[in-house]
Amino acid sequence: MSRVTRRHFLQATAAGLPALGLIGANRAADAQGAKALTIAYNVNLPSWDPTVGLSAVNPTIQSIYKSVFDQYIDQNPNLSFKPGLLTKWGWNDDKSKISVTLRNGAFWHDGTPVTPADVVWSLERAGDPKGGNPIQFVWGKIGNFKVDGMTVTADVKEFEPTLFKWMAFLTGYVLPKAAYEKAGAEGFEKRPIGSGPYMVEAFERNAFVRLKAFPKWWGGKPAFDSVVFKFVPDATSRVAEVESGSSDLTIEIPYEEFDRLKKKPGLEGTTTPVSDIAMIFITNIEPMLDRNVRLALHHAIDKKTIVNRLLRGYGVPIDTLEAPQYAAFDPSIKVGYDPKLAKALMAKSGFSPEKPVKFTIQTTRGFKPKDYEMIQAIVGMWRKVGAEANIEIYEIAKHFELRAQHKLAPAAFYNWGNSIGDPSTSTGFAMFGPSPHSAWKTPDLDAKIGPLWGEKDEAKRIAGYKAGDRYIAEEGYVIPLFQYVQPITYRKGLKVVPHVANYILPQSITPA
Amino acid sequence: MADVAQWPAVLRNGRALLGLFVFLLLFLVAAAAPLLAPHDPLEQDLVNSFLPPFWRPDADPQFLFGTDSLGRDIFSRLIYGARIAFIVAVVAASLVCVLGTMLGLLSGYYGGWIDTGISRLVDVWMSFPPVLLSIVLAAVIGAGLQAVIIAIVVVDWTRFCRIVRAEVLVQREQDYVTAALTMGLGRPHIMLREILPNILPTLAVLYSLEMGIAIIVEAILSFVGLSVASDAPTWGGLIQEGRLYINQAWWLLALPVGCIIVTVLGLNALGDGLRESLDPVLRR
Amino acid sequence: MPLGYIGKRLAMAIPTLFGVAVVVFVLLRVVPGDPIAMMLPPGARADDIERLRALYGLNHPIVEQFGRWLLDLVTGNFGTSISLHQGVFGLIMSRLPATLELALAALVVATAAGVLFGVAAAYWRGRWPEVAVDALTGLGMAIPDFLWALLLVLALGVLLPVLPISGRIDPRTEISFVTEFYLAESFVRGEFAVAGSLLAHMVLPVAALALPLTAAISRILKGAINEAMSQDYILMARVKGFSKARIVWREALRNALVPAVTLSGVQFTFLIGGTVLVERIFGYPGIGNMAIGAVIDRDLPLIQGIVLIFAVLFIVVNLLVDMTYVAINPRIRHG
Repeated sequence: MSRVTRRHFLQATAAGLPALGLIGANRAADAQGAKALTIAYNVNLPSWDPTVGLSAVNPTIQSIYKSVFDQYIDQNPNLSFKPGLLTKWGWNDDKSKISVTLRNGAFWHDGTPVTPADVVWSLERAGDPKGGNPIQFVWGKIGNFKVDGMTVTADVKEFEPTLFKWMAFLTGYVLPKAAYEKAGAEGFEKRPIGSGPYMVEAFERNAFVRLKAFPKWWGGKPAFDSVVFKFVPDATSRVAEVESGSSDLTIEIPYEEFDRLKKKPGLEGTTTPVSDIAMIFITNIEPMLDRNVRLALHHAIDKKTIVNRLLRGYGVPIDTLEAPQYAAFDPSIKVGYDPKLAKALMAKSGFSPEKPVKFTIQTTRGFKPKDYEMIQAIVGMWRKVGAEANIEIYEIAKHFELRAQHKLAPAAFYNWGNSIGDPSTSTGFAMFGPSPHSAWKTPDLDAKIGPLWGEKDEAKRIAGYKAGDRYIAEEGYVIPLFQYVQPITYRKGLKVVPHVANYILPQSITPA
Repeated sequence: MADVAQWPAVLRNGRALLGLFVFLLLFLVAAAAPLLAPHDPLEQDLVNSFLPPFWRPDADPQFLFGTDSLGRDIFSRLIYGARIAFIVAVVAASLVCVLGTMLGLLSGYYGGWIDTGISRLVDVWMSFPPVLLSIVLAAVIGAGLQAVIIAIVVVDWTRFCRIVRAEVLVQREQDYVTAALTMGLGRPHIMLREILPNILPTLAVLYSLEMGIAIIVEAILSFVGLSVASDAPTWGGLIQEGRLYINQAWWLLALPVGCIIVTVLGLNALGDGLRESLDPVLRR
Repeated sequence: MPLGYIGKRLAMAIPTLFGVAVVVFVLLRVVPGDPIAMMLPPGARADDIERLRALYGLNHPIVEQFGRWLLDLVTGNFGTSISLHQGVFGLIMSRLPATLELALAALVVATAAGVLFGVAAAYWRGRWPEVAVDALTGLGMAIPDFLWALLLVLALGVLLPVLPISGRIDPRTEISFVTEFYLAESFVRGEFAVAGSLLAHMVLPVAALALPLTAAISRILKGAINEAMSQDYILMARVKGFSKARIVWREALRNALVPAVTLSGVQFTFLIGGTVLVERIFGYPGIGNMAIGAVIDRDLPLIQGIVLIFAVLFIVVNLLVDMTYVAINPRIRHG
């Protein structure tokens, strides 16, 4: 039976007796013909404005934003930067001004051209303290915009070395001035307009968003005419979605299931290490004030076994907060698994398995794959060298709250994402005392990181962070565990290019 | 006191006997967990993870039901899970029973503004969906065995309160209460010494049903990720863990689900049996 | 039914609603998760925190916060969702119809199946159908709806993939609805293919929700029929020589329906509560799914709104059940 007749048959059946069942089965087969792509996505899309509020800084939904909106500057799958709506960007010599150039031939989804006025409006809105942009502290550092042709210049009020990196990162999107002002905030939520490869065709909250290819996109019309992001928060259901053929692609499924599915005929899988690091925050309270204890805890963890056994090899053990793809990665910083040394260090401070040091470790459960099991395994390893850790589970929201108040337990599990790979957005935010995101707050370390925030010499800045990372490793101020690996499962016949920033971009998926 | 004389009737009721058997079994397993369990339920061995259960040819006889993702003994975890299930069931049901019965007695016996006040409170409470309320509560209190128990008590006391109140309204009109009043006995005395014993059969029924509910609520909270905090093995937690490996090791999910079903079926049968043999009012 | 009674019950609902509002407020203002902390971007400063607190009115004294909140509620202003940036009331109203359709479908299915099983068990009393129904209802009541949901995903979603596992409608359906009651609307408009897609998506969640309720109804009904069968008028009918089928269906069932209908009304509220987890598992875009998201995100205004709406729904259902009860059974007068 040919596809068309089969579909007609289904429709006839459905019309005749609205009976169940037959519809929805093997839909991927239909999808292929219609050049459509269905992605079973792990999180709901809360809001359409990619520059305001909590959702704007939620890394997990940036893929959807990047399908509909354009960033000022874009990123290649290996995290290197490439032109987005801007074709040129840079500082002047004394870094007192910036100058960016908008590309020609970019259009909004309503057909009007993208103008420098849109860029200026977007940057001014982002820098407005009352605008609600969570990254306002970066965008507010430039002002006094001037337009000359397609080029926009601005004065630097306070030097921010990572300004252009932020243009490719959270909230770094250009929005349409005229359309937004006409629709208002609520109206824009209902009918979002961007300049990206896909237009929003239908949005059903908590269910799906259906996108249509934007033929006038400056990057060329994307391969799929129609793309659906289906929101399926439950991992078991996501597995069932691709396995039954209802969806073409899914992410964030258990590694065991990934291994099983990719062996099935009709399905394929790919993995890539992503810009997300599993780590244990150490807070500067007892018993962590003892350097021997801190280092012993680090040496006692067999990261390789954890990755191999628990994550089935899907993870890259790591000893600093910088992943190999990041700007300040230094492979020579090593801590190493050494239970004997750990025991000796513990003994120096008078602790042993019989007389263990006791403290609490906090973790989420089910927020990241195997988070809770991993901590259980680590606690088991610590037990052997003389540390008795009591596991406390909390929601991720609680973690943020406690961290902002500097009230985390002596040890707390977290995952640190950093898709622009800059050291200031990993080591900087996570370890600098005055930052509300750090857990270890001591002057010795602050003295090393503090001067780097406004450092105008890029090479010196990177070297400074490398030195800071080495010092942190030597002192044991944090326990980095490993770099996550994202499993992507999809039906055969698709070509998927994994992105280190963990984006699933429909515009870079093509029929093979 | 006529009803209490019927207690032996329970032993002639097949369902009640079955339920009693399940309950005693749960108690014994819970009490003797350290003796019964061949391993420490927390002891991990990453190298020996996902060992198969006994019916597989490559099984390790040391691990009856095999091991989980961290190499922990499933059998021992199920046994210790029974212990937590028993504690949650008994503690939560007892607290619910005491709180609900007290308020129900007061409300039914004293009437007046006490009754109005308590009934109002029940009305308010009954307006919340129990599942959502317990989830929100557990989120408020934070994970932990205590949170689970508190959530159950706070959500479920109305169940006892309403039925006890209705029972007391009936009992209040009985001759023995009138007799006690004419004898000059005090109201608290009548309430606790005369009426309470007469509603014991009803309480027994409600209590056994409540134990089943408590075990299910624990599973629900585990499912949402809000249950017991430490690595203590609860059946709900085992379900949640086993769910991830359904295609690799289905028994990781099936075994704890089976434990819950058998226990809840048993406790429900106990409740039904008690109802049939003890309580003509609730009998249907 | 006396109008005075309806008026009285309605008047009683107002203090209940107020009580609900108090409980919701007290409950959620002790939530340990500070919603503001969640909104903190990397690099936020103390003054940012204060600004956000002020924006959401969290900097006022607690009594004042309650007063403002209550005033807002009365004027229909449920506040703005922190995570979704939209009016809470509008959000809830856009998702409530999906849940109502699901719950009503489950109620219909459960009632039909429950009556069928209950009657069968009573009719063949002491024979294998009763044993089978007893076993089924026992299981149905011992397994909570979310476990049914998981088992159904595995059984029908993976092993026998004929039914859609998640969502409410095929995302590719090209139809713009006027109302949020998709199923009702598609029937009214004669869009049967769309209705079919909607129904197909509902099968699994409805089954998960309906199974425990089916068990409860059939059990209650069986008991009630058995009780009715021992009443004098049934004995009379038997003596008169009416067929057993006629007696069970016409006489006993009619009398047994009163308690069964009343109880299924009460059970319906449990079913609505059950949508919370079931919707989550099946990715069904109803209010329950939204509720879990709100709890995870500690989205205070949204949690408050959803719990309140659920409470109002419960009060309305209980009111209807009470009235039905009084209507069928005029001897009862509530105190």
